[in-house]
Amino acid sequence: MTFLKLENLKVYYPVRGGFFKRVVDNVKAVDDITLELKEGETYGLVGESGCGKSTTGRTLLGLNKATSGKIIFNDVDLLSLNRREYSQYRKDIQMIFQDPYSSLNPRKRVIDIIAEPIRNFEKLSSKEVKRKVQEVLEKVGLSPESIYKYPHEFSGGQRQRIGIARALTLNPRLIVADEPVSALDVSVQAQVLNFMKDIQKEFNLTYLFISHDLGIIRHMCDRIGIMYKGRIVEQGTTEDIYENPQHIYTKRLLSAIPDINPDNRDKHMAFRKQVDAEFNNSFNQYFDTEGKIVDLRPLSETHSVALP
Amino acid sequence: MLKFIIRRFLVMIPQLALLSILIFLLAKAMPGDALTGSMQANPNLDPKVFEELREKLGLNDPWYEQYGRWIGNLFQGELGMSYIHKVDIADLLGDRMANTFWLGLVTLIFTYLIAVPLGVVAGRWNESWADKLIVGYNYVSFAIPLFVFALIMLFIFGFGLHWFPIGGSVDVTVEKGTFAYFLSRIHHLLLPAITAALLSTVGTIQYLRNEIIDTKLKDFVKTARAKGTPEKKVYSRHIFRNSLLPVAAFLGYDIVFIIGGSVFIEQIFSYPGLGQLFISSINQRDFSVVNILVMLFGFLSILGTLISDIILSIVDPRIRID
Amino acid sequence: MSKQPLLKINNLSTSFRIGDDYYAAVDDVSLTVNENEVVAIVGESGCGKSALALSIMQLHPQERTKMAGEVLFNGKNLLSLSVSEMNKVRGKDMGMIFQDPLTALNPLMRVGQQIEESMKNHLQLSDAEMKKRSLELLNKVGIPNPERTYMQYPHELSGGMRQRVVIAIAIACEPKFLIADEPTTALDVTIQAQILDLMRDLQSQMKTGIILITHDLGVVAEMADKVAVMYAGEIVEFADVSTLYNNPLHPYTRSLFNSIPSAAHGQDRLHVIQGIVPSLKNLPRTGCRFSERIPWIDSATHEEHPALHEVEKDHFVRCSCYQHFHFPKDAEDLKYDIS
Ligand SMILES: Nc1ncnc2c1ncn2[C@@H]1O[C@H](COP(=O)(O)OP(=O)(O)O)[C@@H](O)[C@H]1O
Ligand SMILES: Nc1ncnc2c1ncn2[C@@H]1O[C@H](COP(=O)(O)OP(=O)(O)O)[C@@H](O)[C@H]1O
Ligand code: SF4
Ligand SMILES: [Mg+2]
Ligand SMILES: [Mg+2]
Repeated sequence: MTFLKLENLKVYYPVRGGFFKRVVDNVKAVDDITLELKEGETYGLVGESGCGKSTTGRTLLGLNKATSGKIIFNDVDLLSLNRREYSQYRKDIQMIFQDPYSSLNPRKRVIDIIAEPIRNFEKLSSKEVKRKVQEVLEKVGLSPESIYKYPHEFSGGQRQRIGIARALTLNPRLIVADEPVSALDVSVQAQVLNFMKDIQKEFNLTYLFISHDLGIIRHMCDRIGIMYKGRIVEQGTTEDIYENPQHIYTKRLLSAIPDINPDNRDKHMAFRKQVDAEFNNSFNQYFDTEGKIVDLRPLSETHSVALP
Repeated sequence: MLKFIIRRFLVMIPQLALLSILIFLLAKAMPGDALTGSMQANPNLDPKVFEELREKLGLNDPWYEQYGRWIGNLFQGELGMSYIHKVDIADLLGDRMANTFWLGLVTLIFTYLIAVPLGVVAGRWNESWADKLIVGYNYVSFAIPLFVFALIMLFIFGFGLHWFPIGGSVDVTVEKGTFAYFLSRIHHLLLPAITAALLSTVGTIQYLRNEIIDTKLKDFVKTARAKGTPEKKVYSRHIFRNSLLPVAAFLGYDIVFIIGGSVFIEQIFSYPGLGQLFISSINQRDFSVVNILVMLFGFLSILGTLISDIILSIVDPRIRID
Repeated sequence: MSKQPLLKINNLSTSFRIGDDYYAAVDDVSLTVNENEVVAIVGESGCGKSALALSIMQLHPQERTKMAGEVLFNGKNLLSLSVSEMNKVRGKDMGMIFQDPLTALNPLMRVGQQIEESMKNHLQLSDAEMKKRSLELLNKVGIPNPERTYMQYPHELSGGMRQRVVIAIAIACEPKFLIADEPTTALDVTIQAQILDLMRDLQSQMKTGIILITHDLGVVAEMADKVAVMYAGEIVEFADVSTLYNNPLHPYTRSLFNSIPSAAHGQDRLHVIQGIVPSLKNLPRTGCRFSERIPWIDSATHEEHPALHEVEKDHFVRCSCYQHFHFPKDAEDLKYDIS
């Protein structure tokens, strides 16, 4: 059974212009990607800002419209469903957003924030709603008494956990986490990452983990897709990617991560210079004649690269 | 830019068309018509005469025919007749339009002359006593109803101190075209303009003050200071320029606001402009005039917002329109 | 040869007025930066890093800020200068690079004007000379088409390009000292690498002394000669970079290292520093400020008034009880803070 598969997914944003504001061009935010997630794993989507990570995640949740392709979830193509059929699956997929400060409505109490998805998808009495909210709050390690507080009464890490609690209320099976810790300090970040690992085990969750931080990705993910200009240029297990990168863009991305050991400084610098030179020299051969990044080619069972 | 303006004008057409239909129907729906006034004035006349007149004027045709006729005439520059004054509406509007234009312009100038310095002072030295005074003035001018304030002004400076005339747009005794005529016109303008200006500064002051207070904390202001830029220049080159920007964009909306205010101001100061004409026409059910005036006001409002957009695109490099 | 340090901060305290009282955000900080040396300041947000940087430049709002101590720059105490004297130092002898290139540039001024503003303040140059120099600067910071960028507005540039412009502004008058406040935090890794390379190149050319503020221990490892770890307004550990990374001693420093994923290779769980950085008002002003966040350490072992001890040559740690510090074995109990 396929848990989740994106098949030849394309998401274009129209660019309007001219006198009548007609569509004159498209931003190919996601340009034909295919990837598969197995149940219970964490798949990391990495790349520079603007490469299409968030668009991919949002499309998965139906927040963006796919231009073409398939999103197969539980053997069903979500894009072929009508609204009613879709909402049935929609609650199995939830999202955690980047900024715990702006993604929670400051004028709503915690109970209203967390209950929102329940109210949208399930018909429960207000007593049941309250009990359910308290339950998930406990799951995320916040005291059940805090349901009547407002977001500003919490620290950044706690807010992010409220965001996670909201995502958990409907017992989802897949969580799209779009840069869930990028706005947080290292110590708070550690807290949230630990927590995400805990609940993953506890509830058998599958994560699509979006980040531009390669340290975090390495820590969190089982498999990784490197995204560049709307395409996936390399995909493999964490080991494949970090120990045996093949695509020049992957190498460049990895060489850009600062080495945490100051004694390696010069070596690392030299390595980075070398990769940069290679990047500039061989850059063109990774594109086809139309300037599109070539398709992925399997190297091994787990590892595939966009090599010509 | 030209493309943008043309497009905006094209968009304006359906807006105005809709407005015109609405106005026309609304006027029709009002009790009575153009002849009701004269009927009441001459109760002895035979109603049949009016009926014939109605027929002749086409007042019994279905509304869309009347509407079509009206619009058709408008396009030929024929604004129609005022049923009350028995003159061409164009003639009726001519002088008054000029009067209102000058009043509006002078009001606008006074508004900015008062609001910009006050806003700047309040924003730059916020929390100071000067700021508190200005904010106080703002509250008062916001809270006080226009007609109450206008009456007080009229009473003090017109009736009491005799500094300004209490009505009209020009002294009847001076000869047209002379310098004295010009002075007299300005003299008549000043009191209504200042009165209106004192009450239209609220938005600009408040906005400018907040903008400056916000801008003061912006990073690029820190950058400017880190370059060793003297405080004065930090304000003039960085803070004020960035804060005035949204205010400049308000110009168009201010025009709309002042046009709205002119209706009352002109009435109270018996200033013969469009606003006064508007009120009296409504009172006399002179719908042909009312229709034209509403159309005109509507047109000017849309124009005002267009002006705002254009100004913003000129002063702010981030906004490009094409 | 003993050379005079470029910047020597002695017992600097900076307090802000909140309500009617003043609270110190920088508390009795002493720090030395030599020519051609990069001193990094690390710590979580809210520790007072920016407050320290802005104190050196004296960019805090005067009416709500009190400063005490000395900031000796080339032997001259900056705190005793008048505003206009200070203006002669800012931009000329010291430049500043800010965190967010998106907001650090005036959106209504062309790039060229913004670079030249600094020259106008300090150098007597003709317009043509200024333009020539601006173009050279843009070239130097790696802008591909200086002529074009000179005429552009900030919004027309990408984040990385903007940060290059911010750097060009900071070095326009060839200052001997630079403060970079989280210069790469807002940028992608690849761009970050480029900007760091650029800063390093410029530094080795111009022999600048740099204070580099960051919360990224990786960036520190790549750039710094010396490191000051800051917590709650105080420097809690200071050493050269290699010493500090190989032998971090202060509990806070060690906690920081243990909480970052890239240092925790293979480890499943990251260390979580309990609680949060206290706000200025709630900051404990007596005893050790970090003790609240390591509740499992026996309070008897804490020093009463922790001072910076030189535990080995040029390695300073604020507290002597680091010897007793250990990470909690029973991590599960401390999994989440329910504060
Ligand atoms: N609503 C939108 N309209 C038009 N273009 C968009 C929109 N959202 C994103 N884009 C563009 O699509 C591309 C991918 O964006 P995004 O998915 O947000 O990237 P990432 O999350 O990797 O930073 C970018 O070039 C971005 O400018
Ligand atoms: N101008 C100010 N007025 C009052 N409090 C301030 C001001 N600037 C900073 N603070 C406070 O001082 C502390 C240190 O802030 P900051 O130096 O910005 O931290 P960092 O740069 O290390 O993240 C924080 O608690 C912050 O809220
Ligand atoms: S003095 Fe005690 S509380 Fe403070 S840092 Fe050292 S061990 Fe921790
Ligand atoms: Mg994104
Ligand atoms: Mg800071």
